[in-house]
Amino acid sequence: MNIQRRSTLAMLALSSTLWLASATPAAAQPVQVQWWHAMGGALGERVEELVKNFNSSQNKYAVTAVYKGNYDEVINGTIAAYRAKRAPALVQIYERGFMTMLLSDATMPVQDLLDQRGFKVDWADFVKPVAGFYSYKGKLMTMPFNSSSPILWYNKAHFEKAGFAKPAETWQELEKQLYAIKQKGISACGSVLAGDYHWSLLENYSAINDLPYATKANGYQGLDTEFVYNNTSVVSQVARIKKWIDDDVMQIAGQGLSPEQLFTSGKCSTYFASTAAHSGIERESKIDWSATYLPWEEGKQPKNSTIGGASLWVMKGQKPAEYEAVAAFLDYLAKPETQFWWVKATGYVPLTNKAYELARSQGYYKDHATREIAILQLTRGTPTANSTGFHFGNFTQTMMAQRDEFQNVVAGKKTPQVAMDDAVKRGNEILRQYEKLNKGRY
Amino acid sequence: MAAAIESGLKRAHFKDVRLPVLLLLPQLAILLFFFFIPSFRALGQAFFLSDPFGNTVHFVGFDNFAQLLQSDTYHESVQVTVVFTILQNLLTIAVALVLAFASDRVIRGRGIYKAIILLPYAIAPVIAGILWAFLFNPAVGPLAQVLHALGLAWDPNRVGSDAMILVILAASWKHVCYDYIFLLAGLLAVPSSLMEAAAVDGAGPLRRFFTIGLPLLMPTMFFLAVMNFVYGFFEIFAIVDAVTQGGPAGATNVLVFKVYVDGFINLDLGSSAAQSVILMIFALLMTLLQFRYVERRVSYDV
Repeated sequence: MNIQRRSTLAMLALSSTLWLASATPAAAQPVQVQWWHAMGGALGERVEELVKNFNSSQNKYAVTAVYKGNYDEVINGTIAAYRAKRAPALVQIYERGFMTMLLSDATMPVQDLLDQRGFKVDWADFVKPVAGFYSYKGKLMTMPFNSSSPILWYNKAHFEKAGFAKPAETWQELEKQLYAIKQKGISACGSVLAGDYHWSLLENYSAINDLPYATKANGYQGLDTEFVYNNTSVVSQVARIKKWIDDDVMQIAGQGLSPEQLFTSGKCSTYFASTAAHSGIERESKIDWSATYLPWEEGKQPKNSTIGGASLWVMKGQKPAEYEAVAAFLDYLAKPETQFWWVKATGYVPLTNKAYELARSQGYYKDHATREIAILQLTRGTPTANSTGFHFGNFTQTMMAQRDEFQNVVAGKKTPQVAMDDAVKRGNEILRQYEKLNKGRY
Repeated sequence: MAAAIESGLKRAHFKDVRLPVLLLLPQLAILLFFFFIPSFRALGQAFFLSDPFGNTVHFVGFDNFAQLLQSDTYHESVQVTVVFTILQNLLTIAVALVLAFASDRVIRGRGIYKAIILLPYAIAPVIAGILWAFLFNPAVGPLAQVLHALGLAWDPNRVGSDAMILVILAASWKHVCYDYIFLLAGLLAVPSSLMEAAAVDGAGPLRRFFTIGLPLLMPTMFFLAVMNFVYGFFEIFAIVDAVTQGGPAGATNVLVFKVYVDGFINLDLGSSAAQSVILMIFALLMTLLQFRYVERRVSYDV
């Protein structure tokens, strides 16, 4: 028998088994649904595990997780697929895309879906700032998934050497500490600028210090919202960061190097970044690190921080059986046990109070104290209109304009006030564009 | 007369019209699906304000174009692109010329030199970009340390001109080999009788290069200048993405990168489409220029 003949036979055998498999009764076949996500690397492995756990917990549905690149790539892929009428059932979209998805007319509210399918989800049990961000008119529109909040990471040895027990609570005191650490020659840089600094140092800064970021309760009460952060101490915050960078107390990692590396290698003493950095820092770090709350302005009573991360949107145009599968999967996700597993595996915050209670009652936070900071910070006090969250259309675009202007400050081309005025002006133009497009739909 | 010869040639090669059409079909299909259809869609999109999913669409006429022409960031982007392209062009051609002249001179191991010089062309643009970004990273890059040791406050993360220099270096490094191979071929094609005659008359290698080689290379250089412009305008997306992401403060935000950011990150499809239409018109002009003025002067049968 020659090789060609053998491979033809093999093909025949293979295709007949495939045919047999597809010919088995439909009832035994689980309903297949696709979930597009943006979790690469270690987080991607956790997602695979999550899906596997769900698929083996029952035999009616099978979820396939598909890694589609970063958040930008997932939303673009989703848009392209939707326009071609081939959208997956479930997609993971970053929090900045909330308004884009909400008014797109391409999605289905998760709360409706699960209620209609008879799943008893305790919607009131979702952690407030998380549910607040993803709700519209009191209804959860998308399933919160990986939620995080920025915290302050620090190098314990550096602070102890400089004679401080830990980072101070206020920006003013922390500044003195970082300058002292630099002057004593303990570290080359007091802090490193995170890639998503606009989130931690400007947006969350506003929420924690109870400063209005925009009118209309930061966009929650209408599309005619306007940015106002150029009239608050955000301007002096920008000036402070600029000063730190000028004095070499803060470093910009730049392209070709991750900011996290500058912290975990022990070069920089602090790092303002997401609690989701836990998985990376725990794995890579050679230093004795810890973390604490984000600082606030002297004399202020700090409010809660707001979330970042992503949520899962259900796309329109699926078959009833597929909706049922999606609903079952989301119900599984919301379960405290699943949540607790996810929290342990990744460093993201628990999404429901029950899940949080479960983690606490099992003593998880005793051994992992830094992992509780984000949730404590998120639930601190009663949220005000300034700290509930941010609902802006074209939010990514306004953020990019803001970053552009921030870079003008760092480059010394504009003063903080002028740059933030310009950022607000550009941002408002972008908001008006969105308002024009979606008039009367919010 | 010329036309008659041409058609005679065509007839000699293809007696039947079906075969050439069949041979052209795959290429035409690719052009149709990956060029013409997207181009026409972009042309259409440029006149609409729409949400990315396409469920809400408003016709806005030339608003997208008007907004672009009024926008400071777009003006900056045009400026940045022009500066980048010109400098990149000069640097690439100059280096390629020196290398071509030098490897035309060496006899032993010419093949090895050529292979080494051509290597960067085989490297993916993103990799090339990351390489340069790392080498000149002010915190860890070895070459940045050298600059700092020389007393230069090098910092492409903050200083726009530094970032621009870095992108030009990376883009030119990646493209030098392209120019080089054309220039080398051009030099090799210079009739050796001319060179030998000049040598007998006592002209040194440099003199021979400048008075004989260079003038004969002019059509090639003009062709390369056009190609470099096209490269600078359309093909350096990956390098900018890896080296600076258009920053700091838009200092390296070249047009093609801006199209990408506005379309695929900001999801501002109308503006992005309008920008691509403008770029498309520019590409057409470049092609026209090349066909009208360059193609006629470059003779390929040396």
